[in-house]
Parts: sequence; structure tokens; C-alpha cells
Amino acid sequence: MMLAAGQRSTRVPARAGGLLLLGVALVVVLFFSITVGARPIALGDVLAAITAPDPDSTTHRIILELRLPRTLVGLLVGAALGLAGAILQGATRNPLADPGLLGIQSGATLCVVLGISVFGITTLSGYVWLAFLGAGIAAVAVYLIASMGREGATPVKLALAGAAVTAALGSITSAILITSVETLDQIRFWQVGALTGRTMDILAQVAPFLLLGIALALTTGRILDGLAMGDDVARGLGQRVQLNRAFAGLAAVILAGAAVAAAGPIAFVGLTIPHVARAMAGPNYRWILPYSMLLGPILLLGADIIGRVIVPPGELQVGIVTAAIGAPFFIAFVRRRKLAEL
Amino acid sequence: MFRSIFAAALALGFAATSALAAEWTYTDGSGNTITLDHVPTRIVMHANTAAGLIPLGIRPVGIYVDAPVAEDKSLQGLDLTGIEIVGEGWGEIDIERVAALKPDLVLAEWWPLQKAFSGLEGGAGTTSEKIVQIAPVTGPTQGASILQLISDYETLAASLGADLSASGITADKAAFEASLAGFKAAVAAKPNLTVLPVWAGTDALYVAATEGSSELRDFASWGLKLMTPEVAGDRGYWETLSWEQADKYQPDLLIVDNRSDATMETAEAQPMWTAMKAAAAGQVADWPAFWLRNYRAYAGALDELTAAIEAADENLTN
Repeated sequence: MMLAAGQRSTRVPARAGGLLLLGVALVVVLFFSITVGARPIALGDVLAAITAPDPDSTTHRIILELRLPRTLVGLLVGAALGLAGAILQGATRNPLADPGLLGIQSGATLCVVLGISVFGITTLSGYVWLAFLGAGIAAVAVYLIASMGREGATPVKLALAGAAVTAALGSITSAILITSVETLDQIRFWQVGALTGRTMDILAQVAPFLLLGIALALTTGRILDGLAMGDDVARGLGQRVQLNRAFAGLAAVILAGAAVAAAGPIAFVGLTIPHVARAMAGPNYRWILPYSMLLGPILLLGADIIGRVIVPPGELQVGIVTAAIGAPFFIAFVRRRKLAEL
Repeated sequence: MFRSIFAAALALGFAATSALAAEWTYTDGSGNTITLDHVPTRIVMHANTAAGLIPLGIRPVGIYVDAPVAEDKSLQGLDLTGIEIVGEGWGEIDIERVAALKPDLVLAEWWPLQKAFSGLEGGAGTTSEKIVQIAPVTGPTQGASILQLISDYETLAASLGADLSASGITADKAAFEASLAGFKAAVAAKPNLTVLPVWAGTDALYVAATEGSSELRDFASWGLKLMTPEVAGDRGYWETLSWEQADKYQPDLLIVDNRSDATMETAEAQPMWTAMKAAAAGQVADWPAFWLRNYRAYAGALDELTAAIEAADENLTN
């Protein structure tokens, strides 16, 4: 900590500058996310759609009813996944932690599958609450299982409980999908993870949770920096380790649950982004968190834009693009530099 | 002594001729001929084949379905009492229950492109494929026309002992002929009417090519103007349109794949659905996609389409 205090005077401007650059990059990505799509629309029409919307114009409706909500959902979901990944990696001190770790995505998937097969729910906005419910139940179950025994919810026990619950929920999901082609048809596109078809009403449903989660997440920097030194040191510095880990975990569950509700289970963003943020910002979570928050939507929306133009006149789902970009990138990243020990 | 030998020879000869008379032969879609020493009575069928044969009076002892029975469109409205369901998932046949039924024949449709019978597309090595060790598998070919397929089922049913002159069967056929005449008249009365068959997902709008579906080819042969999507050679019979491109085709009438009710709901939930003038004007009808197998179902589907065509403005788009 002494060292960190000494570094602060020289590194803070560099890190703040990096954050500013990422902010600019994000604005550029947002611009392209509104202007680029499967249908070429002139910049003038895009501006007209925003300044003087004409409800009878198909191009205006595409900008306002498809690209705008999709971009906002991508912005919030990307930030949420980046933050949730950073928090989970920090709180569990596990470099492979991501929003899938605590059973959040598999719980959400199972609940959506049940909603389709048992209750016949078919709309994306109907899936939102199901996914949220499933994410919450799974995360609580993982936490309770990991809390059993004397030492409470340690990182290793959380990871093991998460893996076990994920496997159990995944097998139930598979069992349902194997016996119902119709459910499989409905779930197929949701399960990949996508920003297509996300309309304003879906944004309105999840935005409050995402904003709350982002606000909570940004306050966890000090907690994560303490936990990063190990439970014993953190305790010695006066941290209430279990309580703090539970608080950080709650923020991550809200973020990951709302993200999966909004866009389906998107892989790799939550895993990769915190590592990139750590490489850029150093080991201090008070910087890693805002870096992850900006890097997440840059990757997610960037991948979505690529997916929109790569197979005209169709589109490729963002979940496929992030996995296709994310996997080789992550492997190269891991091979090129020594990853920070957590 | 002589009399008893004579009687025995006579009996033997008689038995031989009657066996010859009861022999059953069928040549399937792959050109393979099957010969049984008796007319099969205990038959296990794929759901679509059952949908073709049950209305003609040939009832299976067991049916395997690609999905839960309640979701199978082709079986809707058919009396399935007493028939065992021996599979409710694509490629999933419960071999032990099939064996317990002691079938003497399995009937399914031959898919020329996949070179396989319905339900056995997984090929050798799958559990389902073991059904060929229980009983021979045969059946008519999927092809250019549902009407042809129904006619193939009539031939098959007759060989299995069905009485095609039964009043219920002839009434169904007569009702179909009337429905078809009505359909042709409605189509002829609207020469400018263009029709687009689609499947809607939240990810994209899928536009069907006529040649990919037997009933669409029937419709086209009866004069219906189906629009032709640009299908990339390696992507099967559908053109995938981003919802941003949903207005690429502007038909006068949209027909939506109705294998699942959810497809229409999904379509109507998309903001760009109404970018197609036909959707905005409510000129939308069901497309009975891939599941028609008998005259009664076909007549019902044609009547609905006829009503939609008669109600549609043929000059909604140019």
C-alpha cells in the first residue's frame, strides 16, 4: 500500500488519461452502432431520424426502434458484464471467474426454458423476468451451498459450488430441450446471446437494475483491493471479509442477472475484459472497475457491429461474434504476457 | 393310403397358393423392394406417415413422433386411441417398446436428399437405426407435391387392405376437390396477387424458396404467384433477412409457417414486421408448412388460404 501511495502521484494522470481515451473510443463505437447495420442508411437520414422522426419512414423506424434500443442495451449489458467479471474475479480471487461462475447464466437459461415449455411464454420481454428469477435463485443456491461448513463461503468453495450447480442446471435444461423441439426452436437464438430484437420495452425493464448494479459495482473497489491481499490480511486491515464478499457478490449477481435477462448468456466478455483492464490499469480495482465498465461495451457493441455486416442480408448473433473474437484473443493474451496473479 | 397322400398333397398345394396370394411387396422411394410372406398388420409408423394412412383406414400399432405428440401438427384431429407412442423427440425411437409391439413392418417417408427415412436420419450407429433389425422399413418418397404423396399413401393403403371406396374416404376426397376448385378460382380471380412464405424469429425473418416445400410447389402449380427469394447455394431453401431488411420483398399476402403458434406471435412482436405493407394491412395467413398428409387437412388449409386470398387487395404492392 505504501508503494501504491508512492505510485499514485505519477500514475494517476496516466490512468485517468487512459480512461478518457476509452471514453472517446466508446463514443465512437456508439456512433457506429447507430449508423452501421444490415441496411445501409445515409448519415443524413440517421440525423433526421433523431431530430425530426417520421413514424411512417421505415429507415427512421429502424434507427429509433431497432438500432437505438439495441445500442443502449449493448452499452448497459457490456458495462454490466465487464464489471460483473471484474468483481467476480476479484471477490473470488479466481482469474477464470466470469458471470457463468456462480451458476447465474445456467440458472437464467433453465428458468427461460421452463417458462417456454411449461407456461408457453414466447416473447423476449417475458423472458426478462424469468431470466432474472433464475439467475437470482441459482446465485443464492450457490452461495448457500458454498457457505456450508466452518470456514464459510471461501473462493474455492464458491467456484466448486458454482461449477456443480451449473452442471446440474445444464443437464435439466438439456433434458427439457431434447424432448421438446418447439422449446428448442424458441430458445435457440436466446441461448446464443444477442442484441437483435431488443426493443425499448425490454430496455425499460432491465435498465433500472443495470444502473443500480453499475452504481453498486463502482463502490466495491476498496473492498476488492482488500480481498485481493487474501482473507487473513484483509481481516487484519479491519475488513469484514464475508460481509464484503457478499456485498460485492450481490452487485455482480444484479449485473450478471440483468445482463443475461436483457441479452441472453453472452460468453467471454465477462471473462476477457477484466484481464484487459488489469493489463491497462494495473492491479488496483478502483481503476480496474471503471476500465472494465468502458471496455465491456466497446467489445460487445464492436462485436455486434461486425455481426451486422458480415453475412448480408442476414446478421450474425453477437454471442457468436464475441466467442469467435474472444476465444483466440484470450488465448493470445494469456500466452503473450504473464497474467496477474489474483 | 393313396387317398391320404392325395389329401396331404392337395392341402400342401392349397397352402402354397394361399401363401402366394397373401405375399406383400412394396418398392420404396430409394428403389429398394421389400417382400413379406403376408400382408403386414402390426405396423409402426412415423407420425407423418400415420397422418397419411390413418384417414385411409390403416391404423398403426405404434407411432414415433419428432416432438411431443401434442406439438405435432400432422397428427392433429386424428383419433390415436389404442396406438402406442414409441418416440417423442427428433431421431429418438424407443427401440425396446418398438420390439415389444412385435411389428412386422415400419413405415416412414424417404427423404431423397438425406437418403434416409424419417426418424432414421442419424444413420447407422444410432439407437433409433436398430429399428431395421426389428422389422423392415419402407415408405413413399418426399417429393415435389403433397398431392402426389397423398396419392402414394392411397396406393400403399390399398395394398395393405384399405377400402378406399369407404364413404368417409371418398367424402374427404370430394371435399378436397371442392376446396381445390375454390382455391384455384380465388387465385385466378386475383392475377396480380403475390405471396411470400416466411418463418419469423427474433433474430431475423426467414423467407422460403418454393422448391424447398412440397405444398408450396403444389400452390405454385395451381397458379399462386409465390415470390422467389435469393437463396445462397449453400444455405438450403431459406433466405435470411435481418429485420432491418424485412421490407426487401413486398408481397400482397404474407403466409407464416404455422408449425408452431409462437412463430406468428414472434412476427407480430417485431417492430419491422409492419414494414411489409401486407403485414400493416393485415393481409397475413397461415402457411401449413411441411405437415399436410391427408385430404381433410389439406382441404382445411386450402379453405383458409382461399378466404385470405379472396379478402386480400391484390394491388397492395406492385
